[in-house]
Amino acid sequence: MELFGIWIAAFLTLCIYSFLYKDNPFYRFAEYLFVGMTVGYGIVLSYHQGFIPFAWEPFMDVFTGESLFGLIKLIPIGIGLLFFSGLSSRHTWLIRFPSAILIGVGCGLAIPNVLRANIFEQTRGTIEPFAAINAGTLSGMEIFSAILMVIGVICTLTYFFFSVEHRGPVKWVSKIGIAFLMIGFGSAFGNTVMGRVALLIQRVDFLINDWLGSFVALF
Amino acid sequence: MLTKLVNMDRRIVFILVALAVIIPMLFPISLPVSISEPTQNLYEFIDELPADSAIMLVFDYGPSSLAELNPMAKAILKQCFDKDVKVVGLTLYAVGTTMGSDLMKEIAEEKGAVNGEDYVFLGYRPGIELVILGMGTNIADIYETDFYGTPTTELPMMENITNYDQIELVVDLSSGNLTEAWITFANVQFNQQIAAGVTGVIISQMYPYLQTGQLIGLISGIAGAAEYEHLIQSHAKGTLWINVESFVHLLIIILVIIGNIAFFVQRKQEE
Amino acid sequence: MKRQIPLILCFLFGVVMLLTQFSPHSLSQGIYEEVLNWARIITPFALVFSTITLLQTHITRIRRQTEHWQYSFLVFGGIAIMVVVGIPFGPQNPVFEWLFNNVQLPMDATMFSLLAFFIASAAYRAFRARNLEASLLLITAVIVMLGNVPVGDLIWNKLISLTPWADTYANGSSLMKQWILDNPNLSARRGIILGVSLGVISQSIRIILGIERSYLGGGD
Repeated sequence: MELFGIWIAAFLTLCIYSFLYKDNPFYRFAEYLFVGMTVGYGIVLSYHQGFIPFAWEPFMDVFTGESLFGLIKLIPIGIGLLFFSGLSSRHTWLIRFPSAILIGVGCGLAIPNVLRANIFEQTRGTIEPFAAINAGTLSGMEIFSAILMVIGVICTLTYFFFSVEHRGPVKWVSKIGIAFLMIGFGSAFGNTVMGRVALLIQRVDFLINDWLGSFVALF
Repeated sequence: MLTKLVNMDRRIVFILVALAVIIPMLFPISLPVSISEPTQNLYEFIDELPADSAIMLVFDYGPSSLAELNPMAKAILKQCFDKDVKVVGLTLYAVGTTMGSDLMKEIAEEKGAVNGEDYVFLGYRPGIELVILGMGTNIADIYETDFYGTPTTELPMMENITNYDQIELVVDLSSGNLTEAWITFANVQFNQQIAAGVTGVIISQMYPYLQTGQLIGLISGIAGAAEYEHLIQSHAKGTLWINVESFVHLLIIILVIIGNIAFFVQRKQEE
Repeated sequence: MKRQIPLILCFLFGVVMLLTQFSPHSLSQGIYEEVLNWARIITPFALVFSTITLLQTHITRIRRQTEHWQYSFLVFGGIAIMVVVGIPFGPQNPVFEWLFNNVQLPMDATMFSLLAFFIASAAYRAFRARNLEASLLLITAVIVMLGNVPVGDLIWNKLISLTPWADTYANGSSLMKQWILDNPNLSARRGIILGVSLGVISQSIRIILGIERSYLGGGD
């Protein structure tokens, strides 16, 4: 069974690589099957690992529970069921109810936490090295890095600041911001190449060592 | 000639890339690996943990990123099992569930670790921030059972683990922006220490969090995985693949140089 | 009613979540926990909507017989096989695991690995030092690409060994990459994080207050 699995996997791998030559039925076969299986996998996981523990079990607890307070759980279950209104085009608008609650909760959670994690902490991180400079605990290179960081952050933010026309000194500051951004994107590109190539190497490793290796096991 | 070179069929480039992977794969070489500071920091953090302490290993990735993240997951698990550090495995990304389960079983078998005593795999729950916040109060409220159906409260390892207070570190292996969710909710609300192992695509955006200490360490793609394997002295796929990767990077750099030479020569001719 | 009630619900749940996070009072914490519970119960149902949308798309493709419509049956087949095995027997079932490991996983992994070929081809064709900005991008990418792989330091160390600074400047390739990530890259990313986060916060406030309503979709 394991060997059969390796051969199926190798066949599907080659089906997808056939796209490198040109679009063809083998590629489309794998592509559509992939979409279907991924959705199917998602449904199974969401049912067993999401719906059952988060909705079905609290629902059953309502009837087996000692307190009537458990009945309150029926409200979110009922609201969740409104997602099924998507099956009828006349009643699709009912989806707005559960969506509005989830979006409201998401926004309410995001505001204070994003503020602390990404605004306060990142601002602290930008300014804090200057306290260390003041205390005289940083080396020359570290002082240079701290100053460079402040310049970079201010210039990058200036580039994204569209409430003021980018003319005169603002234009130059924003140009420096672009330079920092380009270095940032360049490093992201270099790292992305590493990531994508790693995926290819893993598949080639599978084809050479597992699939072709299985020939050796056969004979 | 130059125009021909610049406009050559892209399939020739494809063949060159394929050869740059296949040949070093057939004839592997070993090159020395330099360790980066963020990888070293994570390694040292786990290395200094006392026996019987616990970390949370989060498999927030699917098969599309397994090449980069599986080697680091394996390396971290090996280090933890060798050090008797307990591992609570879980995922907030549905497609990572089977992979996470298989991977923990595989390394546990290799290292003789026991499910429920040395490690647990809790599986998947939907609703990223809702799950992260819920576990801050009580992990068993979110995961009443582990992935295999055993009640969480009956797992010997979980007897002394209620919430993040007993988790020394969350290591999020992520192919998307879930590390930021862990920072935003677990670190901010519960002061939970976070480290990450990420794919190449998102390495760059993690650095601001490293500098502020919101991340105590970072494993960067397949290069980071190779570094970690080097640190735990267990050379596996990460080390093999980063050596193969060297040749592809060199090929791409050579292609970029050729493309640019052709571009400048053409521009000069046009002038 | 079709629009007003969702707007009110969004406002109420948003404000409750916002305020209860700041109060340690037991009543406040009780409400906070209960709302989180409600959201956790509703969340798994959201998948129903996305699945219905996908199914409707493919049913329409088959009905209208658009190009390659026959392949839409494969989508249904893929969903059916996973659901038939997975729903009754669970994701721990060996057959379900086999299907994942030998059918879904290789396709998923291979699909994304195609990008390695396209990224190499795109780099060859389009990565040009046309001006200062493009040159910065290109040079940084090359330094990071070299610094990420062992051969980068190998080449650097061979070259530097020809100079008197061999010991002082060893492993320069990976060190340069690390310096770029730690400094200019960090500044640019921090600028982006600050900008995006301010955007997230302002957009969240607009949604809670009902100024931003695009999530309600069209219609009355």
